[in-house]
Amino acid sequence: MDAIPGPLPPDGAPIAHYISPKPFDPKAIEKLSPIQERVYLASQLRLMWWKFKKHRAAVYSGFFLLILYTSILISEFLAPYNLSHRHVDNIYMPPQGIHLFHDGKFVGPFVYGTRYHLDMDTLRREYPVDRSVVHKLRFFCEGDPYRFWGLFEARFHLFCGPKGNDAVFLLGTDRLGRDMLSRIIYGTRISLTIGLIGITVSFLLGISIGGLAGYYGGWIDIVVQRIIEVLQSLPSIPLWLALAAIMPVDWSPIIVYFGITIILGLIDWTGLARAVRSKLLSLREEDYVMAAELMGASPRRIIFRHLIPGFLSHLIASATITIPSMILGETALSFLGLGLRPPVTSWGVLLNEAQNINVVALYPWLILPVVPVILVILAFNFLGDGLRDAADPYHTAW
Amino acid sequence: MLRLAGTACVLPALPLEAFAAEEPADIAKAVIGDKLPPLAERLPQNPRVVDMAPLGKSEGRYGGAMRLIMASADDIRMMTVYSYARLVVFDKDLNLVPDILDHFDVEEGRRFTLHLRRGHKWSDGHPFTSEDFHYFWEDVATNGKLSRGGPPQAMLAEGKPPVFESLDEVTVRYTWEKPNPSFLPSLAGANPNYIFMPAHYLKQFHKRYADPDKLKRLVKEQKARNWAALHTVKARQYKAENPDLPTLEPWSNTTAPPAERFIFNRNPYFHRVDKSGRQLPYIGTVFVDISSADIIPAKTGAGESDLQARYLRFDNYTFLKQAEKKHPIKIDLWREGTGSQVAFLPNLNVNDAVWRKVLRDVRFRRALSLAIYRHELNQQFYFGLAHEAANTVLDSSPLYEKSYDEAWSAYDPARANALLDEMGLKRASDGLRRLPDGRLAEIIVELRANSQEEEDVMELVRDYWREIGLKAYPRTLQLDVLRRRFLAGDTLISMWSGLTVGEATADMSPEELAPVSSAQGNWPKWGEFTETGGKAGEPVDLPEAKQLLDLYESWRVSETTDQRRKIWEQMLRIFTDQVFTIGTVNGVFQPVVYNEKLRNLPEKGVYSFSPGAYFGMYMIDTFWYDNGKGAK
Amino acid sequence: MIRYIAFRLLAAVPTLILISALVFFIIQLPPGNYFDTYVAELQAQGETVDPNKIEYLKHEYGFDKPVVEQYAIWVWDMLHGDFGYSFEYEMPVTQVVGSRLYMTILVSMVTIIFTWLIAFPIGIYSATHQYSWSDYGLTFLGLLGLAIPNFLLALILMYLANIWFGTSIGHLMDAKYLGQPMSWDKFKSIAEHLVIPVVVIGTSGTAGMIRRLRANLLDELQKQYVVTARAKGVPPLRALLKYPLRMSLNFFIADIGGILPSVISGAEVVAIVLSLETTGPLLIRALQSQDMYLAGSFLMFLATLTIIGVLISDIALALLDPRIRLQVRQTR
Repeated sequence: MDAIPGPLPPDGAPIAHYISPKPFDPKAIEKLSPIQERVYLASQLRLMWWKFKKHRAAVYSGFFLLILYTSILISEFLAPYNLSHRHVDNIYMPPQGIHLFHDGKFVGPFVYGTRYHLDMDTLRREYPVDRSVVHKLRFFCEGDPYRFWGLFEARFHLFCGPKGNDAVFLLGTDRLGRDMLSRIIYGTRISLTIGLIGITVSFLLGISIGGLAGYYGGWIDIVVQRIIEVLQSLPSIPLWLALAAIMPVDWSPIIVYFGITIILGLIDWTGLARAVRSKLLSLREEDYVMAAELMGASPRRIIFRHLIPGFLSHLIASATITIPSMILGETALSFLGLGLRPPVTSWGVLLNEAQNINVVALYPWLILPVVPVILVILAFNFLGDGLRDAADPYHTAW
Repeated sequence: MLRLAGTACVLPALPLEAFAAEEPADIAKAVIGDKLPPLAERLPQNPRVVDMAPLGKSEGRYGGAMRLIMASADDIRMMTVYSYARLVVFDKDLNLVPDILDHFDVEEGRRFTLHLRRGHKWSDGHPFTSEDFHYFWEDVATNGKLSRGGPPQAMLAEGKPPVFESLDEVTVRYTWEKPNPSFLPSLAGANPNYIFMPAHYLKQFHKRYADPDKLKRLVKEQKARNWAALHTVKARQYKAENPDLPTLEPWSNTTAPPAERFIFNRNPYFHRVDKSGRQLPYIGTVFVDISSADIIPAKTGAGESDLQARYLRFDNYTFLKQAEKKHPIKIDLWREGTGSQVAFLPNLNVNDAVWRKVLRDVRFRRALSLAIYRHELNQQFYFGLAHEAANTVLDSSPLYEKSYDEAWSAYDPARANALLDEMGLKRASDGLRRLPDGRLAEIIVELRANSQEEEDVMELVRDYWREIGLKAYPRTLQLDVLRRRFLAGDTLISMWSGLTVGEATADMSPEELAPVSSAQGNWPKWGEFTETGGKAGEPVDLPEAKQLLDLYESWRVSETTDQRRKIWEQMLRIFTDQVFTIGTVNGVFQPVVYNEKLRNLPEKGVYSFSPGAYFGMYMIDTFWYDNGKGAK
Repeated sequence: MIRYIAFRLLAAVPTLILISALVFFIIQLPPGNYFDTYVAELQAQGETVDPNKIEYLKHEYGFDKPVVEQYAIWVWDMLHGDFGYSFEYEMPVTQVVGSRLYMTILVSMVTIIFTWLIAFPIGIYSATHQYSWSDYGLTFLGLLGLAIPNFLLALILMYLANIWFGTSIGHLMDAKYLGQPMSWDKFKSIAEHLVIPVVVIGTSGTAGMIRRLRANLLDELQKQYVVTARAKGVPPLRALLKYPLRMSLNFFIADIGGILPSVISGAEVVAIVLSLETTGPLLIRALQSQDMYLAGSFLMFLATLTIIGVLISDIALALLDPRIRLQVRQTR
């Protein structure tokens, strides 16, 4: 409405009759301003996104994980050396620091050369730094050959050491002289995907079984509940031991790897199933379900088309929280000797190789694979927290 | 000590004054309090005198306690191994000398007369006499319920048991029809052939002698299945779990399992003395602490063990050497006594017919061996300090010949390639060889889980075999699965350690060189055939392996050491020339960590189970703590 | 109420039977048996084994009977309090486990208390200061404990404790107190050694508990009655503690059921690394060597513990919260 023009008349005098010249819009009250429209008519996804953005740690974690997962595609490119490249002259070498300035001048990223010295008293290999030798890092260079996605041969790497025999070990080397940075990068591939495949198995199992139990109730519910109880009372370790023991010996490492992911998936579905079941039990009474039934929809359609999408976001959130336990489960299985073994390289395998007193006391850089493990687990947790907060935008909490 | 064929050097009996020698404080107190008889009555009339000087040792002082760390309660059998009190023992020159026995006579290699020391007593004071041998033979070894499979293998010559005679209180005789050269070495084994048992104690568990009601009660108390099971558990001398069982070892266990710390106390009736007449052992108590194997190097490096070699590996050396500065320990490097630290065993009994033919062709095995760059293995893992060789005896063995070491163990990939080409295994376009039936020659090498050393060696060997056109994969398995697989013929090549008796002498059994056991991964089915007397497995059908078996059989009935030496030489020659196992390096250093105050432990030694009994051969009863006062 | 309890007890019986069958089956699953493992190990160390003796032992312990019969015998014995015989230790199972059980309970109890002590304040703080940087920071610390693999953390802490404080490596006490009666020195030694396992196991449990407490509390804090209370001037702390906290404590009660077995079994890995005198290493070793009765009976014990725990927490919850009692079973 426009303001009344001019000052008010003296007391007692009539107020001039004012008519706004604007055209009349019968829907003026109901109409929303553009800003209001955006908010009130926002789709579910949009609302979730806004809520999600509020959780800043979750956003950063999301980006971090995205970067890691895309890096899997170009692992061979990022890693300076192959997995099997052993540097016989550089065994147990500590990490080399990258320097930019040499003798006060800017030279670009480089590492100092080292000499090799065997301490005959303690039989320890030492690599005193030789500050006169400068090894500049080369970028986008030719290094160890590899097959890119198994398709074609390539030698292209992000960075390598100088030409010739001198090598660059940013995170040191292990007992066979293999570059730790390369091993960690290759390990990312296995460790991150194990979690994904495991969670998919868990997910499918959890939704189907939990869904059936929740929807039908009655005997099916009782049986499923007992099964879940049984599985949760069974301590996990014996189950793992037994499952790992029955895997045939002549399977190739890749198939064993898939077997392990399935084992991990089979362990965790109970939590998901329980959540699905309890949600369904309550949602079942909603009117829209009754309407669908009356219209003749089959139970399968009702479960998958109507009920589940209602809380899919919650499920995704809890699934995201379970991925870290898969990654940790893989490391624990390696520790028990049941998981992946060399030559397959995963973070769990690397940590298992670091699990002895020699490493802790003398070669602590071999423990570095724990850093990506921690970062990824933290990232997944924050991401999951954010997703869960976002899953119910009108509800501030879970 | 001089050694003549079978007899001990008999020293004149020590004068009575010598027996008034010094005693450890707690024993002296017990003697005064009339709880123990005086020294003269505790020792046998003719104790074994250990002369320290020729052994490079010094006479020590009494006192102190020694801590050992082991990985499971089973390992208390290591105390029996280390203590090494046997009827006859191997001395440090690998000769058989009497220890518990006063002397022994051998006639025609088949009649053994054993003379005990008069007045020798068990650890509870009861006399040790021929009755204990009689009890074992008549009531245990030949008793159907207690020994279902019959007497131990070492007591049989061509399958026949001996005639046992108890001539008097201190003399027993075993007579076989054919010579039995295994007999004496078996008595001296780290895990010995026990032919005596404390009869006075065990009779209460034996059906023939015990009061039936009492026996029944005992069986029920122990929750044993029957009296035979009870007797077996109570009578076990090798694994000293029963604190009530009398023993002849220098220390006896006082803690019943389950326990985390076993306490071994001095045996006041032990039969060895030093030259001054003082009774051994010097150290009064030994503690055996049980810890998980993974943290034992860490515990040793924190100074929690006074004598440790078991569960320490060469790669722990740097860590332990640095710990020397912070804790009162010292570390020496002994040599491992196995024939090869890591060995590859091609399975000649593999089921796959094509592979079987290939593996049986000696050229293939030779090629595999020639392709291994032992020098690089040595440099990378052992700093070049180990000895590159085939799987054979060590250079400290009297049977050693350089030719055995060098049999097909040089690095010669060109020759290896030539041998494989000669065999007709052609290379395809990818550079990898094919089997005669066209399949890729892919070798799956099976090894034990949790052995980082084997995995690492395999990493390198994989590259070496790739050079000669063979693709190889490692596969780790649990131990029992591995064993089951090679016995079933599913394994192609397995990884194992080399010869156990690296320091073999002609008088020791050459059984590892012949197909006699199902535990041998290179010919398990032939071994099973011999082991079960033909009931299972397959008969040997490779001429050279048959030769080895025949030589072994002839060793088992050989009469003289000379004969045995010739047999050993022949066997070693065939074994290494035919490359039945592929050795890598031997003589790897074994760290030995000990309390810096401990004396009489040699700086250099060979660490092997057989024949050395680990520390046994070096006589740990002579070790003592020097608390600054020096030797006596 | 009584009906509810009776029904749950009755439902527990078939569960236990099913678990016992599964446990037995799982232990038997890997091919071979105890004696194969035993023989293989001895031979790997270069010692000889008399094959006749092994056959004899196999026969003695009934390995030649069919599996179903072995199972039936085992269950029958267990119901009579006979938990079987351990092959490895050659004594009844109860004797083997006996002493270790006390230590296990000690470690578990202390760990649970430690976890609660840490999780509580952090959870409450997190819920009341949502999305602040301190919220992120504390959650981060809690998650850090979860993220670091237990076995590695245990090894590192064990080594550092030895270097910095002179604590002897591993175990729950110094070697000289093993098997000795309790004394003040022994108690101090145990306390000193208990720190590492409790910290390692506890920190991995705190993250989950913090998250649950935070979520539940947030749920309650949004409710009308809290808003009303604040609007009416109730001091914030009181408004927080008097009702919302008590409501969200429900889940603590619900948790008791799951917590004890999870702490006992989750501690297995740490117990192996630190060589603790608890039942964890015992169980793992028994499973690996297929010491059937030891492994089976102990697993049954753990499973029973879980079921009883869940039962107790369900009953406690029902007592506390009338809404659950009214939950009618719905059928279709």
